[in-house]
Amino acid sequence: MKLFAVALGILTAIGGFVDIGDLVTNGLVGARFGLSLVWATLLGLVGICLYAEMSGRVAAVTRRGTFDLVRERLGPRAGLANLAASFFVTLLTFGAEIGGVALSLELASSVNYLLWVPMIALLLWLVMWRVKFSWLENGSGLLGLALIVFGVALWRLHPDWGNLVHQIVSPHNPSNEKLATYFYYAIALFGAAMTPYEVFFFSSGGVEEGWSRKDLITERVNVFIGFPLGAMLSIAIAAVGALVLKPRGITVDHLSQVGLPVAFTLGKIGLAIAIIGFIAATFGAALETGLSCGYTAAQYFGWQWGKYVRPRKAARFHLVVLLSLIIATGLVLTTIDPVKLTEFSVVFSAIALPLTYFPILVIANDPEYMGEQVNSRWTNVLASVMLVVILVASVAALPLMLWTKAGQ
Amino acid sequence: MSIRRWAPAALPALLLTLAACVGPAPTTEDYLGKARHSADSAVSALQTALLAVDSNRKGNLFAAYLDVLLSEAEDDFGSVQQQFDSIQPPHTDRADRIRSQLDTLLSKGSDTLSQLRILERRDESRLLVKTAAGIPPLVDKLTKLAQGTLQ
Repeated sequence: MKLFAVALGILTAIGGFVDIGDLVTNGLVGARFGLSLVWATLLGLVGICLYAEMSGRVAAVTRRGTFDLVRERLGPRAGLANLAASFFVTLLTFGAEIGGVALSLELASSVNYLLWVPMIALLLWLVMWRVKFSWLENGSGLLGLALIVFGVALWRLHPDWGNLVHQIVSPHNPSNEKLATYFYYAIALFGAAMTPYEVFFFSSGGVEEGWSRKDLITERVNVFIGFPLGAMLSIAIAAVGALVLKPRGITVDHLSQVGLPVAFTLGKIGLAIAIIGFIAATFGAALETGLSCGYTAAQYFGWQWGKYVRPRKAARFHLVVLLSLIIATGLVLTTIDPVKLTEFSVVFSAIALPLTYFPILVIANDPEYMGEQVNSRWTNVLASVMLVVILVASVAALPLMLWTKAGQ
Repeated sequence: MSIRRWAPAALPALLLTLAACVGPAPTTEDYLGKARHSADSAVSALQTALLAVDSNRKGNLFAAYLDVLLSEAEDDFGSVQQQFDSIQPPHTDRADRIRSQLDTLLSKGSDTLSQLRILERRDESRLLVKTAAGIPPLVDKLTKLAQGTLQ
């Protein structure tokens, strides 16, 4: 039974790793820069593994939510700054994910995505309101595994593996691209891999599922095996774009173009699986971001939160979730291009990263909360180096966005 | 409410607007750079349509997916054309020549993509492939124009 739980956790982590930000950014970057920016995804992977493990450990040891602890440890002002930045970025990402589900359904039906948005919002609310946490998490995560079809497509394209590896290990900026644009997309990939909501959802989920110290091994296995395998899916999406779209001069502006290499390689069956993967990945991430909006606000203000209690006992938590859903849905219904919204959400994620991750590092080092489970010296060295990278990405993101006109 | 209070909330919206702006082209070099960018974007839309039609010919696409791909390619192409036309060219022969050449190619491309969309919705698979055969020469000319602009 324990083995089953571990396996399920890994599979869910793989399927749940990719969201609309990863789909669009990796597709776009693969088609434009080949695999020369995989280093940014790998850097983001190291970061998310480090900090997700840390926040999961904090949740397992303290059995409390991240924002609850941040407010207590750093004070209400610092906590509020952290909450405001994280909530804004998560809300933006929530909108992008809803748009992603709608675009995926448009691909399957050719019915305009805007017509799907209200129905998706209703379904999301029903699932967040009624469905058990474990079903909600595992269901979307397992269906998200359909994105493995990108790995199969890559294999069926019979690429020159040596050349792909060469692109990864000796990255360079293509001659037709500006260096500023190259680094802008590096930050976008980094932001997509380290999206703050993933950490909030992971740690709050730990509390929802009643993790304790004895679950630490399961938690680490999920992070250190599941996330890297999930990142492999991201790299596969970039790789098929590099092989099929880049030689034709196709730049990715739509989700439909991300799936085109799979159709080209595997035909209708492959395409159907990819569309299922798109829907599952974006719907799952929409659930995670929606709940994360509720988690962050409720934890900061000290309200009862979570799906492990009846909705009437966590009324304010569910109210925040519902209001966030209404705002995010309204954002998509303004007819803003969901792909552009996604691109901006990953860059704003990068900007907000220090406010999200620094407090976690502080709490994970506090023996009053963590006892013997404080960070090891090596974890601190790695996390500090990563924090410097996060700071650089955060500071550079806005100027690069303006300088490159958002990567044009 | 003071500026200090609302500025942080308005900043993201302002940045999004600034990032999406099309700047002027005061010099010939600036104009040629924008023409190159337009040609590249046009090639992307045309190649997407070509790959979609080719995949459909091989039975690799669902009708709904093909419809979305062709509609988006047409929309993208239209916005490239509109953006390029809205740029005020500098008063030089070179800029005028490039404008005229690119405009002609963009008009042809736009017609081709509209035709593809119409044929796809009429389920005219054979004509679809025949019409898409006009894309590679257009792509070739656009690519050459973009490269010529660079030199």
